[in-house]
Amino acid sequence: MNTYYAGTLLVYAAVDIIACLALNLQFGVSGIVNFSFIVFQSIGAYTAAVLSMPPDTANGHFQVYIGGFQLPFPIPWLGGALAGGLLAIPVGLVVLRKLRTDYQAISLLVLSVIANSVITNVRPFLNGAAGIAQVPGPFADQVDQYSESYQLLYVGLTVPCVLLVWLVASRIVNSPFGRSLRAMREHELAATAIGKNPVQLKMTIFIVGGVIGGLSGAILVGYIAVWAPSVWLYPETIILFAAVIVGGRGNNVGAILGALLVPVGFFEVTRQLPQKIGDWVPPPNLIPAMEWVAIGLLIIGFLWFKPEGVRPEPRRVFEGAPLREDLSSGGNP
Amino acid sequence: MAATLNGPLLVAEDVHRHFEGMHAVDGVSVEVSTGKITGLIGPNGAGKSTFLAVLAGTLPASEGTIVFDGQDVTRMPAYARARRGLVRTFQLPSEFARLTVLENLLVAAPHNRGDSLWGALRGKGYWMRDERRLVEQARGLLKRFGMSAKESDYAGTMSGGQKRLIEIMRALMLGPRLLLLDEPMSGVHPSIVLEIQYYLQDLRKEGLTILMVEHELHMVERLCDSVVVMAQGKVIGSGTMASLRKQREIVDAYLVG
Repeated sequence: MNTYYAGTLLVYAAVDIIACLALNLQFGVSGIVNFSFIVFQSIGAYTAAVLSMPPDTANGHFQVYIGGFQLPFPIPWLGGALAGGLLAIPVGLVVLRKLRTDYQAISLLVLSVIANSVITNVRPFLNGAAGIAQVPGPFADQVDQYSESYQLLYVGLTVPCVLLVWLVASRIVNSPFGRSLRAMREHELAATAIGKNPVQLKMTIFIVGGVIGGLSGAILVGYIAVWAPSVWLYPETIILFAAVIVGGRGNNVGAILGALLVPVGFFEVTRQLPQKIGDWVPPPNLIPAMEWVAIGLLIIGFLWFKPEGVRPEPRRVFEGAPLREDLSSGGNP
Repeated sequence: MAATLNGPLLVAEDVHRHFEGMHAVDGVSVEVSTGKITGLIGPNGAGKSTFLAVLAGTLPASEGTIVFDGQDVTRMPAYARARRGLVRTFQLPSEFARLTVLENLLVAAPHNRGDSLWGALRGKGYWMRDERRLVEQARGLLKRFGMSAKESDYAGTMSGGQKRLIEIMRALMLGPRLLLLDEPMSGVHPSIVLEIQYYLQDLRKEGLTILMVEHELHMVERLCDSVVVMAQGKVIGSGTMASLRKQREIVDAYLVG
């Protein structure tokens, strides 16, 4: 396996792991069906791009975009994370305060569609449907972005981000705060009756998820150097949902496993499929179309047969707890 | 739990709750005395549960005022009332199903340093002491209510009666001053009904004030110091159960209603 292939695989895996950990906090732990997750990843990517790129007058003005500040690493990554968090505030205030869960999901889905069409059609803003290209990665002015050593450098910058996000996610999930989030997920009205403010809880975790989602986009755009509306269509969110559901809702290890199984593993496997079976050449869009069918079947299959996922949310047993009489009954209600 | 004062802990005055022209609660005024168990009875559809929800803030009042412990809480959101000690339970089981029994209690406890984003991010060392103290307190309650053996089971797997107990224990973890119980005995096996009755009597002895909606009149007679009767959204009588039994219209409301 060559370095470029390995680098690509690792960076994509890291980005998907970070995204799935964020979505798990929102959806798995807190029950917020954030169907616009990809928008948060995307605003992180666009923000990081315009923070690191030169003004659009450079390179013969072949693309147009706002900003172009040429700021050094780590400002674009931090800016991407910040942008994700800032976007979560107005979106959360509109969607999470009054609406019931199912309407929240629909509103967020619609937001995802609207955001994508606006960016696609308003060219002066972020270069419209063509998207922006030639985004310089971290230290691109010092290390050749197309060299093997840059692959290693990028993986080296990405791994600490994964560890940091993992630390944040596991501290939240295993804390009394995480317990309040889970209680809200289970029964919002009852949580209110014991003094929890559900709007505050939801807003908090929505912003945290937005920050992490923004970071994932910033990391990805620095690596692939392009970002366009076609890479953040709303179905991309569905892939991440599939990952969290397959991995195990509410379990951080499950989210990581899901990220490796679905977005990474799945697409890697289908890439290996033959282009031609005997004399029959399948139509060119058959495999991508089948991938979507498979993603859909995966979600339905897991929700039907194994709704708790590969790694279910752990049952928390406290130190000094009496042994349970019947171990078989306590697995999953 | 302030049992020293014998004045009212909660005063509801001329409380209304309308649902699109339907007057579910139509000008109810009630005083709940400190340290007593007050019963709220009446036929189905009398507006008892709605009134309880309005008191707890789960439903906002359309008109009227609610004063709890000297403070007007009419416009206060439900979670803020709960934090002040005005805590309700629900008519239907409302356990946190995929939390263990012990976690159902712990989650209700106020004053845990780990129960905020910043507290959580600072790590276990920051909140472990609070957690230990609360685990101990919760285990004390579980022992008292005979559910110690179940602490690590998911609350969703418990029986109807056990879920009732979980809900009462959960409310007690908040350190309530007024407990609003919405039919705590409904759907509960008779043996557990008796247990719940004893627990409630114990709690009153300790000075807790309780307002409970209940259908079973013998239970109300045994438990409640005074009773308020509602029908069609209004209060039609109040007093001790014995005095109410003598009033013709109240008997009629129950028999006809």
